[in-house]
Amino acid sequence: MFGAFRPTQPTFVGLLWKTPWKLSRTRKANVRARLKQVDSVIEAVRASGVQCKALDKALELPKEHEMPPRDKYTVFSRHEKGYRKGIHKVPKWTRLTLRTNPKGF
Amino acid sequence: MFSASVRAGAASSSRLQCRSLATAASSSSTAPSEPLTHFRITLRRSAISLPSNIKGTLAALGIHRRLQTVYHRHTADIAGKILTVKELVTVENVPESAVRTKLEQRQDRKSSRGYEVAGSKLDSEL
Repeated sequence: MFGAFRPTQPTFVGLLWKTPWKLSRTRKANVRARLKQVDSVIEAVRASGVQCKALDKALELPKEHEMPPRDKYTVFSRHEKGYRKGIHKVPKWTRLTLRTNPKGF
Repeated sequence: MFSASVRAGAASSSRLQCRSLATAASSSSTAPSEPLTHFRITLRRSAISLPSNIKGTLAALGIHRRLQTVYHRHTADIAGKILTVKELVTVENVPESAVRTKLEQRQDRKSSRGYEVAGSKLDSEL
């Protein structure tokens, strides 16, 4: 049974969107590119010589090359088994800072 | 067929080279000795459906649409605003001479008309 009318879950039950449990290679590359972009913004503000509390906090964040893959592609979740879930399950995840973990995780 | 495709490829590569050179020239047109005094902030990602404090920060920076570029002096309050929206913008440090108003940016975007008005016969007769 192949083709457009094969009996799959989406064709049988109507609206069914599935989120893959992990990111593809391309999506991970895009994650890294976005992290680097944010790093460059922080670096530009640091290079301007301005001092402020927001900059001190931003400089405490790990840079893209300092982060382990676990932190780049997954986030802490207290409900999941193993306390980690894919970062793409977080709403608005491409426009949020999700670099650090809670203490002890 | 083959030669044509090769020629097209060469032409496109040379054009690419020209473009890269052009952009390099435009970026290095400012004198390196000039002190960098301003942030050039461009909104790359929309703030749609993000919290109102993020949207408000963009409005406070004077940004109202995507790919809009604004210039601000190096001050602590502007730095804090940039870092609030750091996921959405790209930032460069530029000298005073590179600062452009909205109108100047629009003039820079315009293509040349291909001719220049040398004078008017009406003016010469009067």
